[in-house]
Amino acid sequence: MKVTVTRENFQRGLSAVAATIPTRTTLPVLSNILVETLEDGLRVRGTDLDISVSVQTAAAVERQGAITVPAKKVADIARELPDAPVQFESEGGRAVLVCGNSRFRLNTLPSEEYPSFPDVPFEEGWKLRGGELQTLSAHTSFAVSGEETRPVLNGVLWQVRGEEMRMVATNGHRLAKMGLQLGVGAGEEDLIVPPKALQQVERLFDAGDELEIGRSESHLGFRTARTEVYTRLIEGPYPNYEQVLPKSHDKECVADRGELTAAIKRMAIIASDQTHRVRLSFGPEKLALAVQTPDLGEAEDEIPIAYEGGPIEIGFNAQYLLEVLRYVGTDEVKVSLSAPERPATFEPVGGDQDYVCLVMPLRLME
Amino acid sequence: MTRRIHILPDHVANQIAAGEVVERPASAVKELVENSLDARAGLIEIDLQSGGKTQLRVADDGHGMVRDDALLAIDRHATSKIKDDKDLRKIRSLGFRGEALPAIAAVSRFELETAPAEGGEGTRIKIEGGRVVAVDEIARRPGTTVTVRSLFFNVPARAKFLRSSAAETRAASEATIQLALANLSTAFRLKSNERELLDLPRSAELAARVGSIWGDELAATLIPIDYASDGIRVAGLIQRPADTRPGSRRVYLFVNGRPFVDRFVVRAAEEGYRTTVPHGYKPALFLYLEVPLEEVDVNVHPTKAEVRFRNKIKTEATVTEAVRSGLEGLESAPSLGRHEASFQLVSRGPATGAPRPRPESGAASQIALFVPGDAPPGLPVEGEDTEVAAPMARPGAMWQLHDSYILAETRSGLIIVDQHSAHERVLFERIMQDYDEGGTASQRLLFPLTIRLSPTEAQAVEELQGILKQIGFELEGFGSNTVIIHAVPNPHPHFDAERCFREMVAELAHGSPLVDSARNQHERVAKSFACKAAIKAGQPLSGLEMAELFDRLFASELPGHDVHGRPTILRLSLDELERRFGRT
Ligand SMILES: Nc1ncnc2c1ncn2[C@@H]1O[C@H](COP(=O)(O)OP(=O)(O)OP(=O)(O)O)[C@@H](O)[C@H]1O
Ligand SMILES: [Mg+2]
Repeated sequence: MKVTVTRENFQRGLSAVAATIPTRTTLPVLSNILVETLEDGLRVRGTDLDISVSVQTAAAVERQGAITVPAKKVADIARELPDAPVQFESEGGRAVLVCGNSRFRLNTLPSEEYPSFPDVPFEEGWKLRGGELQTLSAHTSFAVSGEETRPVLNGVLWQVRGEEMRMVATNGHRLAKMGLQLGVGAGEEDLIVPPKALQQVERLFDAGDELEIGRSESHLGFRTARTEVYTRLIEGPYPNYEQVLPKSHDKECVADRGELTAAIKRMAIIASDQTHRVRLSFGPEKLALAVQTPDLGEAEDEIPIAYEGGPIEIGFNAQYLLEVLRYVGTDEVKVSLSAPERPATFEPVGGDQDYVCLVMPLRLME
Repeated sequence: MTRRIHILPDHVANQIAAGEVVERPASAVKELVENSLDARAGLIEIDLQSGGKTQLRVADDGHGMVRDDALLAIDRHATSKIKDDKDLRKIRSLGFRGEALPAIAAVSRFELETAPAEGGEGTRIKIEGGRVVAVDEIARRPGTTVTVRSLFFNVPARAKFLRSSAAETRAASEATIQLALANLSTAFRLKSNERELLDLPRSAELAARVGSIWGDELAATLIPIDYASDGIRVAGLIQRPADTRPGSRRVYLFVNGRPFVDRFVVRAAEEGYRTTVPHGYKPALFLYLEVPLEEVDVNVHPTKAEVRFRNKIKTEATVTEAVRSGLEGLESAPSLGRHEASFQLVSRGPATGAPRPRPESGAASQIALFVPGDAPPGLPVEGEDTEVAAPMARPGAMWQLHDSYILAETRSGLIIVDQHSAHERVLFERIMQDYDEGGTASQRLLFPLTIRLSPTEAQAVEELQGILKQIGFELEGFGSNTVIIHAVPNPHPHFDAERCFREMVAELAHGSPLVDSARNQHERVAKSFACKAAIKAGQPLSGLEMAELFDRLFASELPGHDVHGRPTILRLSLDELERRFGRT
């Protein structure tokens, strides 16, 4: 193979796939990227076997072919090259890279050894704007679990229901759920997607891009004309989250999000670094916050709230509260409660987002 | 009818008393060396023939005696050390009964040569079986030499019970070692059949003496302790937990400079090692207690081997606390290469009787280990820093190695922390404290976990339900060998509750060396939880997480030791690095 590509395009292609290249791998070819020619361009591919990324860029093709090169080295080279066209060529099992007066010859591995990309029937799939996907994933991915024993919770549940879609993530202690109305219908799907794949999607596509999405038995694919991302799906079933979403509550509070966040941050300083427990007492007009940590000391705070319902005292992990408050984007936040051992829900006030976060309480000691 | 009762002649009474004081050559050696120490000898030479059975001699350069005193010394109850019963209640000298010399002289061919330090004539007294056979004026250097030949020649029944020469030599040498460990400023020499067994120069430090007795290898495994609370001071050397071995070890106890045996004190010291050494491992101990003289009764045993503390419980508790506090410092963590030879007993400023004193750095001043009675104080030694300071937990000076160890720079070198072991220690202490405070806060779950258990496991869980709740596992329904978990502890962000629970239940149901070494069910559960819940090896940690683990580790009571008896910290000193790189 032999192609010529601008330095800028070459570098952009390499950095797009670089993030998927595993740092440590038992399969040597995975630390390489696959460079192949197209009719009037170049395609660069990288994979860690779970997530695969491929990008195309314009190039002048002289001779067709494919080659694998060490990803890290080539990316480092591309960064240091002078601003001149890059000629890339395979020559007797080696890759030759020429740019201005610079010339590199690199050892390669046979391109046949490179894992093939999943075969995903996009024609049976649906379409979505990059921005919509980003909104869903950015509001939910944070809540996934890191526990190895329940792999389903390591993923984000993506439910497609005709014109509506939803993403849900939880670690069993707190949960985030966002819904979105689409202009177009899109079948019915329940997918459990690794958050790392969603990060790649957020990174590689623009908000305005129209993405094609398709799935096979085990994989999910996202693509535009130039960029493709594939990910292995996590096998379900996902726990029945709808069952734990409170259907009713008898206590409702509206608080200034900034004030609430600041007060919890202050309490978190004194909270135990292990349980991070803060105690919240909701009452008419005010929310009292308190922490006690045996070796350290105590603190109290108070903020004004609008409140309806009987008084309630409930404990939470301050870190979970702060996290949830960060993603509820509105100036005010609505907190709904029913009992000290039942979850609290956090929702934006105003705006049109269909977003809710659940946080399970900490048991309070007598 | 004639009278039946009469007073025994002195030499017979002395023979009977001898039975209590002099059991074997080693007891004679002990009594004579004690006398030499009471006479403030700078050098004591002991000479044995056939284990002391045919002859033993103790020679000193102490203050000696004038002729009249020497003659009195061999009478029963003749002593220069106490005057009345008031003195008996606060004895500083090793001898006080005025019994030893007449007792020995009653059962041997005895010869005492002595000359006073102030100068003047010397005296030689020869006694055979308690009868003075000669008193001569002689010329000799100041000091006293006692020679005991043919021990028990006139008490054949006792002579029969003497052991082999080798066994008697061992016993005599052991008696000497005991006294040598308490009297560093005196030099000792022990010969047996002209062969030198011990040559102990005056030492400034206990570790040096231990080194000259048993070699520097043993000395290098010891760390200094020095702790005082409520009038009781416990100093000495104790073995680094990582260097302990199963089976027998060396244990020496002293109170106010007097050797004693007391298995309760030993047990109290071992209590201080709890959770830091594996089951069955025993530390070497060299413990020096100092208590107000009136707080200890040394006159309860004819050979003074046992003593009685007025406040036994307080004494033992102080010993435990002293050992604990010794194990708190970084010193107690094993180090790569040589241990810095600073085995001085360094006072950590004012009495550290406060609960859980934190390791603190700073200049420390040397204090004499032990000053026996009114004997001359130990050699002065320049003050020196020991490293008991917590390392700086600067995230910039910390690196994670192989996702399992944390390397950190310290003032005097570097330390490597095993992240799992370290977190184990942190969690264990946390939970033991939580028990006292009514349990830990537990995170309720959105989706309760349903876990199948074997019948044995299910039974264990049912029994331990209450304790499991205290550590944060809220359980329900034990029918048909399944439990439902509604709430879990959440000790760190990488915690996997289900896995932890399963592993813990398996361990608690089937036992393991770790949990079987616990003393009650609460500790059993705490140990198991600490082990299963701690951050695993292989877990990448952020700089912040590492710093937090450090802070919590060094805030714990025994940062250097996990709950299995393994170290959590390895030290490498700059000195050692410089030595290895040939920079010194
Ligand atoms: N090596 C010595 N140098 C100087 N004085 C000695 C020496 N040995 C014994 N004496 C003197 O002889 C006295 C009697 O000694 P002896 O060992 O019999 O009794 P003690 O040491 O007073 O009491 P105990 O029977 O408890 O040992 C001592 O009090 C001491 O004054
Ligand atoms: Mg004596």
